[in-house]
Amino acid sequence: MSELVAQLDSALPEHCGSGPEWLKVLRKNAADEFRKHGLPTRKDEAWKYTGLGALAQVRLASGFENRISAATHPAPLLEKGLQIDMLDGQLLQEIGEQLAGVTLLPLADALKFGVSGLQNLLESLSEPASKSGSTNGFSALNSATLDSGLVIHVSAGTDAGRLSLIWSTRSTDTPLLFNSRICVILEQDAKLELLEHFESPDENANTSNIVLQAELGAHATLQHVRFQQESDKAVLITRTEISQQADSEYAYYGFDLGGGLVRHDVHTALKGSGAKSAINGAYLLDGSRHVDNHARVDHMAPGGFSDQYFRGVAGGSGRAVFNTAVCVHPGADETEARQSNANILLSARAEVDTKPELEIYADEVIASHGATVGQLDEQAVFYMRSRGLSEQEARQLLTTAFCRSVSDKLTDPVLREVISERMMAVMPQAE
Amino acid sequence: MLKIKNLHAKVAGNEILKGLNLELEAGEIHAIMGPNGAGKSTLGNVLAGREGYEVTQGEVMFNGKNLLELEPEERACEGVFLAFQYPVEIPGVNNTYFLRAALNAQRKYRGEEPLNSVEFLRLVREKLKILHIGDELLHRAVNEGFSGGEKKRNEIFQMAVLEPTLAILDETDSGLDIDALKTVAEGVNRLRSPDRGMIVVTHYQRLLDYIVPDKVHVLADGRLVATGGADLALKLEEQGYAWLEDGGIATLDVDSVGHVASP
Repeated sequence: MSELVAQLDSALPEHCGSGPEWLKVLRKNAADEFRKHGLPTRKDEAWKYTGLGALAQVRLASGFENRISAATHPAPLLEKGLQIDMLDGQLLQEIGEQLAGVTLLPLADALKFGVSGLQNLLESLSEPASKSGSTNGFSALNSATLDSGLVIHVSAGTDAGRLSLIWSTRSTDTPLLFNSRICVILEQDAKLELLEHFESPDENANTSNIVLQAELGAHATLQHVRFQQESDKAVLITRTEISQQADSEYAYYGFDLGGGLVRHDVHTALKGSGAKSAINGAYLLDGSRHVDNHARVDHMAPGGFSDQYFRGVAGGSGRAVFNTAVCVHPGADETEARQSNANILLSARAEVDTKPELEIYADEVIASHGATVGQLDEQAVFYMRSRGLSEQEARQLLTTAFCRSVSDKLTDPVLREVISERMMAVMPQAE
Repeated sequence: MLKIKNLHAKVAGNEILKGLNLELEAGEIHAIMGPNGAGKSTLGNVLAGREGYEVTQGEVMFNGKNLLELEPEERACEGVFLAFQYPVEIPGVNNTYFLRAALNAQRKYRGEEPLNSVEFLRLVREKLKILHIGDELLHRAVNEGFSGGEKKRNEIFQMAVLEPTLAILDETDSGLDIDALKTVAEGVNRLRSPDRGMIVVTHYQRLLDYIVPDKVHVLADGRLVATGGADLALKLEEQGYAWLEDGGIATLDVDSVGHVASP
């Protein structure tokens, strides 16, 4: 990791040198933090099950040398809505026509010209929101090199519709580490449906370190789909940081179908009363994939509602890590918080480590949590066979159904089908 | 159609069926009654091929085939249907999707073309009409969150769509109130056919008020100890099963063996 620090040192003067003063301070503080702590290790509780050996050879990408044609970019899951291609952490093309009330800007431009609320949003990431939601080495590195990415600003009362962000990386001789930042600012009553899609060519061993931050004003709604079918060697480190004002709604749907080493942290802070968040995810692991999901909800105001629902299937020698945490802070009375995580192991070599955490410091709280790791329901297998389905068909149908309980929560019926078909196509087999 | 000879079966090392003999012809409905623990549900599970039910002796021939050699799905494809006492909830699997997959698996086995969703839906509508049940169960996951009555109705609906030649109804009346019982029984009666044999396993006589069997068998301690017409069920209702412990068949006032009572 000392090599990454050296690479950061050589890349940094240029970055610190541009933009407003607050930005230079932000980058410098983040760089200092990264120099001090580096990337996380297994000694960090939040990284206990996830080693970063896969990053040993990685080099920090410097700049964006030569643009290539968009022809190799993955096709979108859905044609509807605005589509933005991100290659190696950077925008691949100019942003097309925009709706009234919606501002889409490359991050570098937004930093140059200023966007209402952007400084606050960027600075909020460096404040550790909570124990395990604290900034980690990846976020520090991301902030220190803050330059590429996208800003999405939706004015009060505007429905921005759907925006697809399609992430991919190029094959390189030496694996590279790309940093990128997405900032979403939804003013009150604003609406956005954000569909993030990560897919890279096979044999691609790059690391993507992407932070998404969103500020949801009062009554704002953000639907956020994160779908990844990365290459077997790809390292994908993503962090989603949401801040919610009163009566805002955040819905997250995560689908992990690929990747070599994947770590996703999703954290939402319900700061205003009556805010709601639903955090759903499915992970399907085969081969020797490692997928680590950390989800955390902080209830900081009364009358909030949160539901965390994750389903996982692990076959081959895949390893899934799942950590779900809810903290109901003092004063967040009459909160309702649910957590549910269930996993199916299809092979003796696969492993799932799941840990639900619940801390309550308020009154009149309704909370439920459960985590299970098991095999398929043999009663159900027999029931299906007794109707004529073969054993293999029965098992396939059950595993798919298990994961579909997540995709069925998607509101768009076409996307629901597209994602469930993708899941079926990569469904691990029982051994 | 079905010939069971000297069937012995073990569950978890305990012998439950101890030499059961039964012959069922197409078009007949036989009721099997008996006290708890007699082996009633074991019989249904052995015939359907559930794992953990070990046949130690005897044979079961179904339309000339050795049923016990077949996998559960092959038995289903050959026309055996078990209506479960406790239908299994399968979250996430749509009832209609599941049933079409099952029917098409059976059609494939028989060398028939699969039904597409339009053809299947036409068939489903027709069956719902015959059974006088609504289509609200179609859109839900298999048995998930169904009431006891809905689960049993769903079993009968599956049976109507799959059109088995042998249907075994395992305590289909258990847990049903009288209205649900009537609906289920009416469904079964509509599926009576000269080509179809049915075995109705029940603890109580009540169900047989609505599904009138051709024969009633009493199963006790793993064997059929008495066989009679429909009125045997009434006798059992009056006298209970206590006579089994008092020396068996001789003490039961049976005068109707071989006689088929009218309802």
